[in-house]
Amino acid sequence: MKKRLTLVITLIALISLLTAACSSGNQTNESHEGGSNEKVKLTIWHNFAGDDLRAKAVRGLIDEYKKANPNVELDAQAIPVDGYRQRLSTVAAGNEMPDVFFVYAGSQSQEFYDAGLLQPITPLAEEYPEWKGNFMDGAFDRFEFEEGQIYSAPIGLSATSFLYYNKDLFEKHGVKVPTTWTELMAAVKTFNDNGITPIALGNKAPWVAQSTILGSLADRVTGTDWFLKAVKGEASFTDPVFVDALGKFKELVDNKAFQEGANSIDNTQAEQYFIQGNAAMMVSGAWTLTNLAASATPEQVAPIEVTTMPAIEGGAGEAGTISGGAGGGFALSKKTEGAAKDAALDLIYSISGPDGQKAIAESNSMVMYKMDLASSNVSPLYLKAFNVAMEAGITPVYDAYLSAEAGESINNGLQEIMMGGKPEDVAKKLQDAQARSTQK
Amino acid sequence: MPTYLRSRSFVALALLPAMLIFIVFAIVPIIWSAYYGFFDWSGLGSLKFIGLDNYEMMLQDPIFWRALKNNLILVASAIIGQVPIALLLALLLLKNSMFNRVIRSAVFMPMVLSTVVVGLIWGYIYQPQIGLLNTVLEMLGLDSWIRAWLSDPKVNMYAVSIPINWANIGPYLVIFIAALQNISSEVNDAAKIDGAVGFRKLFYVTLPNIWDTVIVTIILCISGSLKAFDHVIVMTGGGPAQSTELLATYMYNNSFTVYRYGYGSAVSTMIILISALLIGLNYIITKRRG
Amino acid sequence: MLPTTNTRAAAADPRPQPWKKPLGLLLKLALFLYAAFTLYPLYWLIISAFKSNQDFFNRPFGLPAGWQFSNISRAWELGDMGRAMMNSTIVTIASVVLTVVLGTLAAYALSRFAFRASGLVKGLFLLGMLIPIHSTLVPLFIFMNKIGMLDTYWSLILPYTAFELSIAIFLNIAYMQSIPREVEEAAMIDGNGWWGVFGRIIFPLCLPVIATVTILAFLRFWNDFSFALVFINSQALKTLPLSLSLFSDGFGTDYALTMGAMFIAVIPTIVIYLIFQEQIMKGMVAGSVKG
Repeated sequence: MKKRLTLVITLIALISLLTAACSSGNQTNESHEGGSNEKVKLTIWHNFAGDDLRAKAVRGLIDEYKKANPNVELDAQAIPVDGYRQRLSTVAAGNEMPDVFFVYAGSQSQEFYDAGLLQPITPLAEEYPEWKGNFMDGAFDRFEFEEGQIYSAPIGLSATSFLYYNKDLFEKHGVKVPTTWTELMAAVKTFNDNGITPIALGNKAPWVAQSTILGSLADRVTGTDWFLKAVKGEASFTDPVFVDALGKFKELVDNKAFQEGANSIDNTQAEQYFIQGNAAMMVSGAWTLTNLAASATPEQVAPIEVTTMPAIEGGAGEAGTISGGAGGGFALSKKTEGAAKDAALDLIYSISGPDGQKAIAESNSMVMYKMDLASSNVSPLYLKAFNVAMEAGITPVYDAYLSAEAGESINNGLQEIMMGGKPEDVAKKLQDAQARSTQK
Repeated sequence: MPTYLRSRSFVALALLPAMLIFIVFAIVPIIWSAYYGFFDWSGLGSLKFIGLDNYEMMLQDPIFWRALKNNLILVASAIIGQVPIALLLALLLLKNSMFNRVIRSAVFMPMVLSTVVVGLIWGYIYQPQIGLLNTVLEMLGLDSWIRAWLSDPKVNMYAVSIPINWANIGPYLVIFIAALQNISSEVNDAAKIDGAVGFRKLFYVTLPNIWDTVIVTIILCISGSLKAFDHVIVMTGGGPAQSTELLATYMYNNSFTVYRYGYGSAVSTMIILISALLIGLNYIITKRRG
Repeated sequence: MLPTTNTRAAAADPRPQPWKKPLGLLLKLALFLYAAFTLYPLYWLIISAFKSNQDFFNRPFGLPAGWQFSNISRAWELGDMGRAMMNSTIVTIASVVLTVVLGTLAAYALSRFAFRASGLVKGLFLLGMLIPIHSTLVPLFIFMNKIGMLDTYWSLILPYTAFELSIAIFLNIAYMQSIPREVEEAAMIDGNGWWGVFGRIIFPLCLPVIATVTILAFLRFWNDFSFALVFINSQALKTLPLSLSLFSDGFGTDYALTMGAMFIAVIPTIVIYLIFQEQIMKGMVAGSVKG
């Protein structure tokens, strides 16, 4: 019943938007009919190219829009993730952006904004205030480049630091699921003594440790406010409090919390290592849910539970939080004007609007849009994680706030610590890189 | 003189199409890219001319020097690995027997496969827990040799260079076989009459006859090793902590990941300069020997 | 045994060598092992292409627990590989033909005629071998966008050719150095012009090296990802490498489909290699008759 109602409301909204689009494109003396029959050409680029449920859901939404808008000649390009960044950077250098394109939250959208390639999608928020109000706190943090203007609406919650654990292994070795740092270190020791890897980590792509572990670990030590200050240059990453946070990471490394060679195996391999019962825990993002759904047997998934990272005694940050943030959304090119702009906004709303969010959430993929998923057909582990994310406070992911160069620096720095590097040096390099980019 | 004129117009016509395509689609873009190297440019928005600052920054960046060192390891391993092994195999497999044909095809196969497959399989060979190499070492009782081959910075660059060499032997083998066949039978017969066999024949007859090809392969080794990119991206991504960074991966990261396009362009110009320098050196050395 | 004794000359070697046989066998064994070592990845690709994702991770070196032929058909369908293969074939063949014809012709001009600028021209082509292609992406994109060439087959064919010409030219020059000039002089006396000499004598004589260039160029064009990614827009013109990377999303990879797709893509390259390898050998026979 409720579903049907939202559908009706959305339809009415869509129709009103369409008529609005027509009338606004009709300021000249042309007849009304002439305006609505005019073909509008539109291009959209995204990286939902694969065979996973989420990619299919997004492509489905675009197809629906195509069907519902025969007057729009839509050229939709699905570009493989591996090449998406490079492709977009190249066309951006040539100032040839498509009308609508998927951008990652963080340095990529920031760079595009700085280069004057984007225009706000605020008209949508004005038209659908209820929709905008339904997003979780912080959803627009990285898309609000100017006060009161939003440049994209996230279609994903990138929750990056769930603590997944294998309940059977914890029971078998009589280990308590850690809620504090001390308990975590005790668990690490017990598992090591029993020849089980405490935490599976696949840090070959070096963003993994940063995104999954450091974000929530450092937040617990430094608190969120300090981090946001440091990003702006009002605090320094060389402050003792951050060096301490890196020290916590080093403590994990020194106590052999991760398996040997974690820097040379990828995230997928680490997930497999964990799911095969070789490791007791894994700190990873919501994407692990998607991957496991595709490549693990139900028996392998059965003992897996999900919670938040343990609290750190004496830290300035809150416990029970997970790091996360807007996972990216669709943005509008500055060059798109007139009828094409109206159609483009309409297209963005078709994907990022309430129905779109629901469709994406039901593809076992997290969104930053409030809704009730209990009755939906999603996997139980996903539902568990979704509820954990709903209850937990969300703290910033480092690379969503740092400049691209500083992000690279801390990614490499964590690998360095895993190879015996000193937290002080890593902190210094991070500070230098961030300072260089804020000076500009 | 009509023949002179005719040959001149022939040369012009024979060179023109190749030159045209080459200059427009390879030389102009690289000059263009070198030009970007003088700017502070994120790749988006406005450019700021900074003269040689990018080069200065590059020379002060320890990662640049590490990448260069890693590239030189690849160059060395290619010249002392790929070329002699390929030449040896070419000499052994020259005769067109069934056995040789099968082996020749086999040696070429890594080249046919995409680098992703090569990277994946070697990833499994080097895998720290279930990897083939560590398993074998354990069986042989060489437990002290066991290590995380791709993440231990003391060995990982060497570990990475083995698959690269292994995968690249194929093309050199084919090049050498084509060249060896071109040694006319008279030369071989003359050598036989002179009693030149074995190493003597190799050094006094075979090598001088294919010397131009050897030089080309060494040039290919140098330029190929300095441009090396794909295998490393798949196997280590240049990590951990940039320990297997190469000039090309360093350039790529700067250009497309951290929005320092101008700097990345300067690095790519540097790659060309270094290659040219090494090839010049090679030219001087081989000229004397040849 | 020394390497060269295995060449044609060895057959007539009069000296008795009792140690030759066991040593030869040992050598064969070593070669065989080395070949197995180089063939293994292909074998691994094939078995992996028929595994489920679980199977791929649980037993990376074992045979498939159940042969999943659906990987191939699903990859074919999802990656739109039929069309991609068609496009790759068109682009690759056109580029290879251009590279071979223009490269051989230019090499001939450079190796046989002494003219003032020849050193400069060779130097320029040498420069082509040193260019890291990623640095040309942005300039080429901007340039081809200006002249409206983007999103056509030409946007791949011409850059591919440009970047492969250098290798083609240098391999050809090196090869032509050892073709005796008398052959051409005789042909000239027979009344052939330069074009005739090139078409009737040089090109056929160069077939082994042309086959070599063809193999190398084919592989490069067939597997190129960067240019294909950036210069082609329309779905209808996409080439194969883009289909191969569809099943990886940065957080995880669907290896069953990826391997299936790679298996499909590798078949033409193997066929081409086998055909042209034969060509190298045939050239040998032809060459020895004429030379």
